[in-house]
Amino acid sequence: MSSFFGRFKSSAGGTSPNIGSSPMKRDPNAPQLTPLEKLLVDAGPVRSDGSDKFFGMENFGNTCYCNSILQCLYFSVPFREQVMNYPQISPNRTPDASSEILPQFDTNGTSPINIPNAPTSLARGAPSVGPPSVSSPTTVSFRKPMSAPAGPGGQQPLRPEDVKDSPEYKKKQAMLTGPILAMEHANAATYGMTESLFTSLKDIFEAVRAHSSRIGVVSPQRFLEVLRNQNEMFRSSMHQDAHEFLNLLLNEVVSDVEANAKRVQEETERKAVEAGSPVPDMLESFMTPTISHGLPNPTRWVHELFEGTLTSETKCLTCENVSQRDEPFLDLSVDLEQHSSVTSCLRKFSEEEMLCERNKFHCDNCGGLQEAEKRMKIKRLPRILALHLKRFKYTEDLQRLQKLFHRVVYPFHLRLFNTTDDAEDPDRLYELYAVVVHIGGGPYHGHYISIVKTQDRGWLLFDDEMVEPVDKSYVQNFFGDKPGQACAYVLFYQETTLEAVQREQELEGLAQAQATTQAALTEQLLAGRSNGDLPNGLQHALTTGGAPDPEHEDFARLHHATTAPTESPHAGVIEPKAHPGVDGTPLSPGGLSAALGSSLSPTSQVSASFPPRVGPGVTTAAPVQSKKERAREEKERKAAEKEREKQEKQRIKEEALRRKENEKRQQEDIKAAIAASKLSHKAEEDQRVSRDNAAPAGENKENGAAPAPAPSNLGGMSGSLDRLRHGSRSFRSRSKFWGSGGGSGSGVSSLVRDRDDAKQPVIHEGMPMETDTAPPVTSPLPPSSVGEPPVSVTDFAGSAVPAPAAAAAAAAATAAATDRPTQRAEARTSTTTQPPPLSQPSTPEKPERHRSHRFSLRKRTSNILQ
Amino acid sequence: MFVLPPPPRYPLTSPYITPYLNGAGGVTETNNILSQPTGPEHQLLVGEGTYTLKDELLLATPPPHPSEAPIQNPNPLATTPAPPTAGVKLSLTVIAPRKHTTRLYRANTSGSVRSRLAHTYSIDENSNEAASTGNSARSAGINQSLDYAQSQSILDVTPAFGEGNPSLIPVNGKDPLKRRKPKNNIVKSNSSFVSRVIPNDTITKRLQEHDPEGLFAFANINRAFQWLDLSSSQKAEQLTKILFTKAHALCHDINILTKSSTHLDVVLGFSSADIIWYEPMSQKYARINKNGIINPSPVSDIRWIPGSENLFLAAHMDGCLVVYDKEKEDAAFLQDENELQLGKDLGSTFSNSLRVKKSVNSKNQKTNPVALWKLSNQRINSMSFSPDCRHLAVVSEDGSLRVIDYLKEQLIDLYTSYYGGFICVCWSPDGRYIVTGGQDDLVSIWSLTERRVVARCQGHNSWVSSVAFDAWRCDDRNYRFGSVGEDSRILLWDFSEGMLHRPKAASVRQRESISSSQPLPTAGRNRSESQVTNRMRSLSNASWDEDSEEVISHSVEPRSRVAMLPPVLSKSIDSHPLSWIGFEEDCIITSCRDGHIRTWERPREGVNGGQNATSSFDGQ
Repeated sequence: MSSFFGRFKSSAGGTSPNIGSSPMKRDPNAPQLTPLEKLLVDAGPVRSDGSDKFFGMENFGNTCYCNSILQCLYFSVPFREQVMNYPQISPNRTPDASSEILPQFDTNGTSPINIPNAPTSLARGAPSVGPPSVSSPTTVSFRKPMSAPAGPGGQQPLRPEDVKDSPEYKKKQAMLTGPILAMEHANAATYGMTESLFTSLKDIFEAVRAHSSRIGVVSPQRFLEVLRNQNEMFRSSMHQDAHEFLNLLLNEVVSDVEANAKRVQEETERKAVEAGSPVPDMLESFMTPTISHGLPNPTRWVHELFEGTLTSETKCLTCENVSQRDEPFLDLSVDLEQHSSVTSCLRKFSEEEMLCERNKFHCDNCGGLQEAEKRMKIKRLPRILALHLKRFKYTEDLQRLQKLFHRVVYPFHLRLFNTTDDAEDPDRLYELYAVVVHIGGGPYHGHYISIVKTQDRGWLLFDDEMVEPVDKSYVQNFFGDKPGQACAYVLFYQETTLEAVQREQELEGLAQAQATTQAALTEQLLAGRSNGDLPNGLQHALTTGGAPDPEHEDFARLHHATTAPTESPHAGVIEPKAHPGVDGTPLSPGGLSAALGSSLSPTSQVSASFPPRVGPGVTTAAPVQSKKERAREEKERKAAEKEREKQEKQRIKEEALRRKENEKRQQEDIKAAIAASKLSHKAEEDQRVSRDNAAPAGENKENGAAPAPAPSNLGGMSGSLDRLRHGSRSFRSRSKFWGSGGGSGSGVSSLVRDRDDAKQPVIHEGMPMETDTAPPVTSPLPPSSVGEPPVSVTDFAGSAVPAPAAAAAAAAATAAATDRPTQRAEARTSTTTQPPPLSQPSTPEKPERHRSHRFSLRKRTSNILQ
Repeated sequence: MFVLPPPPRYPLTSPYITPYLNGAGGVTETNNILSQPTGPEHQLLVGEGTYTLKDELLLATPPPHPSEAPIQNPNPLATTPAPPTAGVKLSLTVIAPRKHTTRLYRANTSGSVRSRLAHTYSIDENSNEAASTGNSARSAGINQSLDYAQSQSILDVTPAFGEGNPSLIPVNGKDPLKRRKPKNNIVKSNSSFVSRVIPNDTITKRLQEHDPEGLFAFANINRAFQWLDLSSSQKAEQLTKILFTKAHALCHDINILTKSSTHLDVVLGFSSADIIWYEPMSQKYARINKNGIINPSPVSDIRWIPGSENLFLAAHMDGCLVVYDKEKEDAAFLQDENELQLGKDLGSTFSNSLRVKKSVNSKNQKTNPVALWKLSNQRINSMSFSPDCRHLAVVSEDGSLRVIDYLKEQLIDLYTSYYGGFICVCWSPDGRYIVTGGQDDLVSIWSLTERRVVARCQGHNSWVSSVAFDAWRCDDRNYRFGSVGEDSRILLWDFSEGMLHRPKAASVRQRESISSSQPLPTAGRNRSESQVTNRMRSLSNASWDEDSEEVISHSVEPRSRVAMLPPVLSKSIDSHPLSWIGFEEDCIITSCRDGHIRTWERPREGVNGGQNATSSFDGQ
C-alpha cells in the first residue's frame, strides 16, 4: 500500500520540479513509472522471504562502499536467509516480543505516507539516536555531488539532480517517492543479542523484508554508526575501499555471532549454576532454542558460505622437502594483467613462485633459510566465492596507489582450475550473481555501485538510492576498457549446478532475446512506450496486465510460475500488490467504496472487489491463467509459455481497448483518485494498525519454521568451529597486512601470498603502509580492538608445538602492543612441516571481553555521525 | 566535399560510439596505414621454422556519423542496451581455382577412409553415398579455401540443401558466368541505411591488374566495410569502402561457388538485423530482412550454404538460424502460426531442441525465409559448416555446441562447455574434429566419432575469440590449428590422435565425490568412454522421444578426465584483443579488434621446418 502512496505522492509532489526541466514530454503531469516500477507492475503478492524487495540505500556521504556491499549480501539467498534466521527464534515466542521489532520497521517505513507532501525529514523524524541533521531534506541533494561519478561538463547551469534521467535526478526521486526505512533503532535486544554490526545488518534485512512495499530506500544510519564506532578507518567521511569493508563486515559478523553464542552459553551455564536466579525474560526466550540446537553449528554459517581453504605447498630447493599449510580465506584477492580474464588471474594466483633473497623460506628440515618454490591452491571451495580484483596498485614512481584500468573479462560462470588434487568437487560450477563496480580515476575518490542478480527479476543496478533493472549484457560492461572509468572491483560467484543454469537460461533467454531485439528496434519500442505509458501512467501503476514491456512481464511471470506455487489463485491472478484494494482505488470511482469497505477485511475480500472495476479484459484472462497454473503444476512449462505468449497478445489487445476507455475517464479518475487517496489513507491507517497487530504472528511463524532445516544443513558441514574461527580472524588481519610481512625475517607466507605486493604492496586505501618498514603498521586501531591480538597469539603459542614456531609466535607477541600480529604469528607457524594444530580449545571469555570493550567504547563515540 | 547523408533512422540516445577509438576516431575520415615492422618481436618461432611478420595493415576506424551527438561525458552507468559490435573479421577469397600443390592437404587417400568413418556415425547414411565420399575430405577445412572444383566434387556426392523441394529449384541455374546481380547501386543509393560509399578512383585498373591468385579480403570495422586487395602493392588503399549510417556489420561471407573475375557474392549481417547481399564488382546490393521484418535480432554470423548459389544461413542473436534466399523478397514471418501448426511437442523451448519453425521442405517458398530453426533463446555466437557439407556446428552464449544435420534439419549432438559461453567454432579439414573456443579460456577439441570432448587446450589468458585449422599442416594423423584471444595472443596447437587418447595422469585416481550439487555424468562415467551421454529426456519433457532421431545431450566432463594440451606457440602480438585468425597457403593472417591486420609469412622452403614437413609427407 505504501508503494502506491509513494508513487502517488511522487506524482503530486514530485513532478512539480519536472515541469520546468522536461519540456519534451507531452504530459508533464502524468506520473511516469520508473523502470523498476514498470518491472514490478504485474508482481504477485509480496513474498515473505524478502527476495522480492528492491530497496535502494541512502548515501550519507561517500558511504556507497557500504551500500554496494550490503546489496550484494542481501541478494545472496543463503546469506540473507542465515542472517534472518539467526539467532533462531523459538516457535513459541510470544507475539508481543516480536511486535516490539516489527512495528518499529513499519512505522519508519510508512511514515512518509502520513505526510505525503512533507519533506522527507519529517517522515523520518522518529526519535533518533543519530543527530537529526543527517536526514534533513537538503542533505539529500547536498550529498549527491560527493558521490557523483563524474561531474557534468560544467557548462550546465542546472544542478545534476535537475537533469532528468540523470542518476542524481533518479536518486532524488527515489528519496522523494519513498518509502524510506530510516534504520535508527537498534533491535538487538529483540534478537536477544547485544548491539553489533551483525544486529544492525539484521535490522536492515528484517526491515526490508517486513515492509509491505517492494521498493523504497533504506537509510542505514544505525549500521554506519556502529561501523564507525567500532572501526576507526571507516570513521572519516572519506571514500573507502569496498573490498576492505566486505572483509571487515564478514569477519565482524563471524565474531558477533560467535560472541553471542558464547554469551548465551555462559548465561545458560550461570543460570544452571545459580538456579532460579533472575534472567531477563527476553533472553530466556531466545536462549532456549539456540542451546537446544547445539552451540557450534548456528554460528558457523558465514564460514560455510564464504570460507574456503587454501593450501600452500612449499618445496625447499635444498632438501626437496615439501611442506603444506592450510589456511582459510573469506575472499580471494587476485592480481590483474592487461587483457586477461578472471580465470587467468586465478590461475596466476596459483602459479609457482620462487622464494629467494629476502623472502627465503625457513625450512625445518634443513634448519635454516633456504630458497624454495611455493604455490597456493584451493583445497576447499567456498560456496560463495568473493573475488577481489586488485585494481589499486602501489606505484613506486608516483609513491601512491593508482587505479589499474586493465581489461579483465569475467564470464557469467566459472570453475576453478587452481584446486589441489585432493580437493572435493574440484569442478564445482559457480555463477556470477553480483558485481561491485568502482567508478573513478583513482583509489581515493569515486563511487561504488553494484549490479545484482535477483531471484526472478533479472539483473538490477543498485546505485545508492536508485534501483534500476538492467539487461543481462549490462553486467559485462565493466571489464575496464569502456569510457567512464567504471570497472568491476569485487565479483561474487555462488555455487550452482549445470541443470539450474540451463533451466535459468531457458527462462531468461526469453526476456534476453527480446531485449536484444529491443536494441535493434529501439525506435519502435520507444514509440510504443511513449504511447503506452505517457497518457495513462497512472493506470499502469494500478492494473495488473498493462505492462508496456512484454519482455519484462514475460520474464517475471515465468519465474513466478516456478517460484511461487503457494499463492492463492486470485492473489496470483489479479493482485499486483499485497494490498490491491488500496492500490486500485483510484482506478475507478466505482471501486472506491468497495475498496474502502474491504480495506479492513481479509485479502480475499479485497480481491473480490476487483472484477467490476478491472473490466472484461482481466476477467477473461483469469481463467486462462488459472489453467496455466494447472499446467505449471504438471510441469508443462512449454505449453504454458506458448499459451502465455498467446495470451499476452490477447491481453495487449484488450489492454489497448481498455486503455482507450480509460483515457476518457482518466480526468475524472484522477480527481477521484485524489479524493480516494485521502479517504483510503485514513482507512489504510486503520488497516495498518490492525495489520500490525496481526502481522507479527505470521512473521513469527516464518521465523519459527525456517530455522528448523538450517541446523541440519550446518550440521552436515565438516570442520571444527575453532579452527575456522581462528582462521577467519587470521584472514582478516591478513587482508589488512597484505604484503606487510616483508620486514619480518621469517614471515614467509604473508609475503608469498602476494608476490607483487612484496615489492609493490597493494595498499588498501585508508591504511597506508610500507613493505620494508619493520613493524607493519596499519592505521591506528581503535583501542577497543587492542585486546584481540594477544588472544590469538596466546592461542598460537599454546598450540604451536615445534620450537621455531613457538618462538616466532612469542616474537610476534612483542609486537602485539602496536599492531595485530595474528597474521604474522600464523605465518611463522607455517614453517612447521605440519599445519598448526587447528583444534585449539575454544576460549570463550576472550572474544567476549573484546566484545564488551567495543561496546563500552561505542557509547563514548556514538556521536560520530555528523 | 560530400553531401551530408540523410539523418539516421535510429534514436540518438544510445552510446553507440565504439569505445576503443583511441581518440583517433576523430571527426574526419582517415586512411588505412600499412607498415612493415621487423625484429624478433615480430616473429613466431615454431617447430617447423619461423613465421615472420610481412606487414601490418591498420584499417581506419570511421568517425561517428555526423548526425550522432558526440558523447562528451559518457555516463558509465547508462542502462540503455548498447547494440552489439564486433572486432575486425576477414572474409578471404582467391578468384582462380586453387592449385593443388603437394602441401595442400596432403592426406587424400587415408583421409577418405576417415571421412567414411566420420560419416558412419551420421545416422542414416546411404551406403552408396558413403562409398563415394572418396574425395570429399579433400576440402580444405576453412570455408574460404574451398574452391569451386572442390565443392563441386563434394556436391556431387552430397545431396544439396532442400534438394527434394521442387519449389526451391533456382530460376536461372544455367550459365554460371552470367550471375544475377542485386538490383540497387550502392554508390548511388539514397538509402538511409548506407551512409557513404568511397570507391577507389582506379578501381577498374586495379581489378584488371589483380592477380587471379591474389587474395581479396573483405573486412568490417566499426560501421565501415572495406574491400581490400591483399596481393596488391597498394593494399592499404581499399578497393571500396562502405560506411553504414548506424549499423555495424558483424559478419560476412563470400560465396565460393559463384565467384569469378567479374562477380563476387558477399553477404553481410548487421547489428540492426538487416542483411545485405553485395556484389562488389558491379557495386550492386540488395537488402534482406529489412528492418528485421523476418527476424528482428542482430546477425552474429552468416554463411553461404555450401554448394548453393542463392541460399545462405544467418545466425540471429535470439537463437534462430534462418535460411534466406538472396533472390527472394521478404515477407513478415508469423512465428505464432507456425508454432501452432507444429503442435505441442515441437513447441518445446528446451535448450537442446531444434525447433523447425519453417522447414526447407515447406511448399511455400515464394518469399524469405526459406527455413527458420529456433535453437534456443540464447545468442548464437558462431557457426561452421563441415567440410563434407552435411553438418553444421553452432556455438552459443549459453555454452552449448550443437551439431546439426542441416540437410535433415535435425539436431544430432549437444555438448556443453566447461563453463561460460562459446565464442568460435571450426571443423578439422577432414571433418573428424570440431574445435571451439570460449569464455573458459580454453580451446576444446570434440571428436565426432567418439562423441565427446577429447582434449582441452589451456594457454590463453583470456577468452578465445577465433580458431582455425591450418589445412596445410594437417595430415591424416597430425593436426595443426591456431587460435587468437582477447588476451591479444596467438597460439598454435598441434595434436594427434595418440595425444588425445592418452589418459591424464591425474585421471587415474578415482575421485570419491563430485558432490551432490554436481550432477555430473555419474551414470555416464560407468559406461564406455566414448558413450558418456545422457539421453535428453532424462531432463523431462515426455513428448521428446516422439522424434525419430535420438538427440544426445552430453554432459560436462570433469577436468580430471580430459587430456589437457599445451600450445606449441604462444605469443602476444598486439596491444588490443585479437578477433580473427585465418590460414592461407603462404601465410597466417590475424586481425584485432581495433583494425590491425597482420600477415605472417610461413617459414621459407628449405629451412628445416619445410624439410620436416616434406619428409613426413613422403613417409606416407
